[in-house]
Amino acid sequence: MQQLFDAAMFGSTLRIMTPILLAALGGALCSRVGLFNVGLEGLVLIGAFSAIVGNYLFGNVLLAVLFSIIIVMLFSALFAFISINLKANAIVVGISLNFLAAGLTTFALRAIFDVKGAYYDKNMVGLPKWDIPLIKDIPWVGTVFSGHSPLVYLGIIIVIALQFYLFKSVSGFRLRSVGENPIAAQSIGIKVRGIQYGAVLMCGVLCALAGAQLSLGQVTMFTEGMTAGRGFIALVATMLGQANPLGVMGSSVLFGFMEALSIRLQGFSLPTHFTMMLPYIVTLVAMFFFKDRTYAQDALKAGGSSR
Amino acid sequence: MLLEMEHITKKYGSFTANKDIHFNLREGEIHALVGENGAGKTTLMRMLYGMEQPTSGTIKVRGREVSFATPSQAMASGIGMVHQHFMLFPSFTVAENIVIGREPAAAGVFDRKKAAAQVNELGRQYGMPVDPWKKVGECPLGLQQRVEILKVLHQGADIIILDEPSAVLTPLEVKELLANMKSLAKLGKTFVIITHKLQEVMDVADRITVLRDGQVTGILEAKDTTVEELSRLMVGRELVRMDKPASVPGEAVLQVEAVQLSGAKDRSALKDIHMKVRKGEVVGIAGISGNGQSELIQVIAGLRKPDGGRVLLSGQDTTNWPVRRIREHGLAHIPEDRYMWGAAKDASVKENGLMGHHHRLQKRGMIKAKAAKVMVESWIKQFSIKTGSAETKAQFLSGGNLQKLIAAREFAQDTPFLIAAEPTRGVDIGAMETIHAELLRKRNEGAGILLISSELSEILQLSDRIIVMYEGEIAGELPAAEATEEQISLLMAGGKERV
Amino acid sequence: MNRVKETLRGLVQPLLAVLIGLLAGAIAILVVGGNIVDTYAEMWKGAFGNFYFFTNTLARATPIILAGLGVALAFRAGFFNMGAEGQMILGGLSAALTALYLPGPGWFVCIAAILAGIIAGGVWSLFAGWLDARFGMNLLITTLLLNYIATYFGGYMVSYPFKDKTGSAAMAQTPMIDQTVWLPKLFQGMGLHAGFIIAIAAAILIYWFTHKTVTGYEIRMLGSNPSFAAYGGVRRIRMMMLSMVISGGLAGLAGAGEVLGTQYRFLDGSLSSASYAWSGIMATLLARSHPLGTAVAAILLAALQTGAMGMERNTDVPLEVGSVIQAVLTLFVSAQIGYSFLKRRKEKKSNATTV
Repeated sequence: MQQLFDAAMFGSTLRIMTPILLAALGGALCSRVGLFNVGLEGLVLIGAFSAIVGNYLFGNVLLAVLFSIIIVMLFSALFAFISINLKANAIVVGISLNFLAAGLTTFALRAIFDVKGAYYDKNMVGLPKWDIPLIKDIPWVGTVFSGHSPLVYLGIIIVIALQFYLFKSVSGFRLRSVGENPIAAQSIGIKVRGIQYGAVLMCGVLCALAGAQLSLGQVTMFTEGMTAGRGFIALVATMLGQANPLGVMGSSVLFGFMEALSIRLQGFSLPTHFTMMLPYIVTLVAMFFFKDRTYAQDALKAGGSSR
Repeated sequence: MLLEMEHITKKYGSFTANKDIHFNLREGEIHALVGENGAGKTTLMRMLYGMEQPTSGTIKVRGREVSFATPSQAMASGIGMVHQHFMLFPSFTVAENIVIGREPAAAGVFDRKKAAAQVNELGRQYGMPVDPWKKVGECPLGLQQRVEILKVLHQGADIIILDEPSAVLTPLEVKELLANMKSLAKLGKTFVIITHKLQEVMDVADRITVLRDGQVTGILEAKDTTVEELSRLMVGRELVRMDKPASVPGEAVLQVEAVQLSGAKDRSALKDIHMKVRKGEVVGIAGISGNGQSELIQVIAGLRKPDGGRVLLSGQDTTNWPVRRIREHGLAHIPEDRYMWGAAKDASVKENGLMGHHHRLQKRGMIKAKAAKVMVESWIKQFSIKTGSAETKAQFLSGGNLQKLIAAREFAQDTPFLIAAEPTRGVDIGAMETIHAELLRKRNEGAGILLISSELSEILQLSDRIIVMYEGEIAGELPAAEATEEQISLLMAGGKERV
Repeated sequence: MNRVKETLRGLVQPLLAVLIGLLAGAIAILVVGGNIVDTYAEMWKGAFGNFYFFTNTLARATPIILAGLGVALAFRAGFFNMGAEGQMILGGLSAALTALYLPGPGWFVCIAAILAGIIAGGVWSLFAGWLDARFGMNLLITTLLLNYIATYFGGYMVSYPFKDKTGSAAMAQTPMIDQTVWLPKLFQGMGLHAGFIIAIAAAILIYWFTHKTVTGYEIRMLGSNPSFAAYGGVRRIRMMMLSMVISGGLAGLAGAGEVLGTQYRFLDGSLSSASYAWSGIMATLLARSHPLGTAVAAILLAALQTGAMGMERNTDVPLEVGSVIQAVLTLFVSAQIGYSFLKRRKEKKSNATTV
């Protein structure tokens, strides 16, 4: 047991939860303006790929991340346009977006790098590991909190920033009003559409960061389908956290911990298949225990019917 | 004159909602705008509030002609509206709801303490104190309405339009509302109250404008008129009483005993309902929609289970039966909202017509398509339903034709009991006469019919007995032959039967 | 005449989508420096060029048709069953295990294996439906999560207890199924097997079921307007369970067909790497959940995929161009679904009565 729950494990939790956290925060923003974004999975995948491409093009990690942000924002703008202006069923658009992401990344992998399945360049530099002065020397705490990629710390900062934005600022207050009662917000003169677009674009930024952490954060490579359902787990994290940044952080920590645990368990004699199943089972169990919370109202609004 | 609306006409295509209306407001008065459902009251006020534009006519505020393209423009001229369905954010606090759009802030940060102070000051100034920190969703409806009023006051409104404000309030809350209105009027605010509750009108209004079928039938000083006169101006028209043989009612086909149903927020939707419908009679439930009629229909049809009491259909307790079983036992239902309950827009006319008949028209699990087609086409002919063909999608039918289809479908069930809820809403005269004729034919053949309508004339023409519902209870019951419009509209408006 | 007109009108949108998809593909081809006309010609050849390729396309379409039919039924009923992949995998696994270990004559075991596949897929799907009906757990997400669980479970089964220990290659797969249990080939030397006949029969059957039977009618009305269905006496929970079972059963059948007709074993990852289930979902979206349309769309997608493989063999253009075309097609269709909704709202407004 001691072996299992050591400091390195909690450190891994922080690292592993970051993509889920960032995507879930994006999902929370969309949820707050009344859009149930099933396309998080696709957006993160595009983000992961674009980060690698950016790194390849510019040889610079910062530019790579910025490049990724721009690309993913374009796709989330597409999602916004079709869902908001064309009034399409947001769930169907999200599903299609996931297909689009898978198809385009597979194609681009071939077209740009001429490889199938995965791209790996041993000379490509990923995200740096930051050692936080002072903290890194504290036993246990140092192992857990120091030495992560900048995006891990950014994720935590964004949680606090979003919490402040949504609940303390005027702009965030009006954003929440859009999701709560768009007709009432419109009647007061609040620009509902503009705010919805803004939220979706911001979601794009967050998903780009999530993808960048995936492809540049630990091992610098892109694998086809590397998001492996994290976008959907992020969606559950959003629902469990009730679209509240701190709540989302809580559920993301849980899921990140579970994934870290499953990786750790692989070292033991359990077949890897069961350890890899663990995050998904845990998510189901969490949905069961918090069944009232996962009853996403905007999912219903977006069109519970699949027709 | 603070406000003048002159020669206002509003057309939607060929339908005229408002015709050459004159309406004016004196500063500091409480002016009631009354009329039946569909008289055109809300349309008129929506134009004042910038949600619609008049087809022709002028609006003048303090002598200057104005035109409002959006609610924000109306707000800028000092006009505020409290809608019938509140425009509130349930999870936000009272203060947040009041100041939204004009939040006190410092460098983008919402100063909630200042907002609370502003709200307290506002409450004190106008004699309507509220707790700024309470979540609106947890407030009783009367308090929510107060928040709505304070919101428009915070926006700087001098003219406040209230659309059916007492529709959702308890009698005590109504008293408070009327008292608040009077004290605000004394402080110089002007009110327009859209309502059908004539007793309240007499309690609070200075002047009254009556609308009927889109036109003004009277502008009166409250002190010079009575409820009876108002109700006559609202409703009175030469009614063509349909010739119908006197009903010889048989045994009860529907019995409702002590049914109660809780609604939203500790208010009962239905309180201790007792009623029955007998074979060969039409029982008409009169009342403005929203007084429990919808809930009663849902309970009888099996779409909702009551919290207490029983429903008996042809002698059997069907209270907890599934919908299909109740229907097969002998119930047909023309629903009040044809788009929500009565039809599926994507489906064809034939498929819509099949609903309810689909278990009957089958052979070994397969639908008898030809028989269905013949059946629906006979209805198209009999009721003159205008449609391309039986394969046309229902969404392309006009409202009236869809209603005819639904009515035909339910009539064809040939059941001993039929619910007809707003059967001729939004339907042209010809269709109305067809449906009415068919209803009476069924009744003469021995069916029991429960008719629910907010059109008083329809109730009077068709019913043998009339029940009036008000706020989830039965306010009164009278035989149709003896009933007068005044009596019924009094009961509908909440007045008690005068002893 | 009206019927013809309406069918034609219904075809305009998908045809437009195909054009846009091909346009996107053309751009992708240009990006990799290929020649559009030559490339598309190779693509056509790869899909339909000769009898061998043509039967290949149909063979590939077989599981897509079946999975797509399952999804179409669920979508028609109003339920977002996204679990086709997991249902397919469990179906294939069950079929393989039944085929390997059930004693009896070949034809008997084959039929039993098919049934086992259908049941496995149906139960897995029903489980998600039950979670939604009983506990309110969002069906879309649960079915997606269950996909991963099913995939890993299948992988485990063929890596440990049921692994093929014969032969030198230590792959995660079951032993090969005995030849007597195989689904027969339709043509000598071609890959197309009896599963295709089953798929076409299923398409017709599901069409007949949804459009001609009483239960199918109730399911369609439920999907079209749940309140209307309730008003008319349709029992929602019952219909949901039924549609989920049939939906999952079809996906399971797809897996069983692949195992018994093409691969002759259950190989970890083979069903998912070919993306049959996801293509099935795409086919449903393209055909707006119409059963026959879904079958046609499935064949179209299969053709895109085999055509893309042919394209890769004979040109420098990678087969992933096919993925781009598919994805753009689907996105466009999802936007169009919103278009008709917009038209409907305009209509409703002009009919509205005002107070």
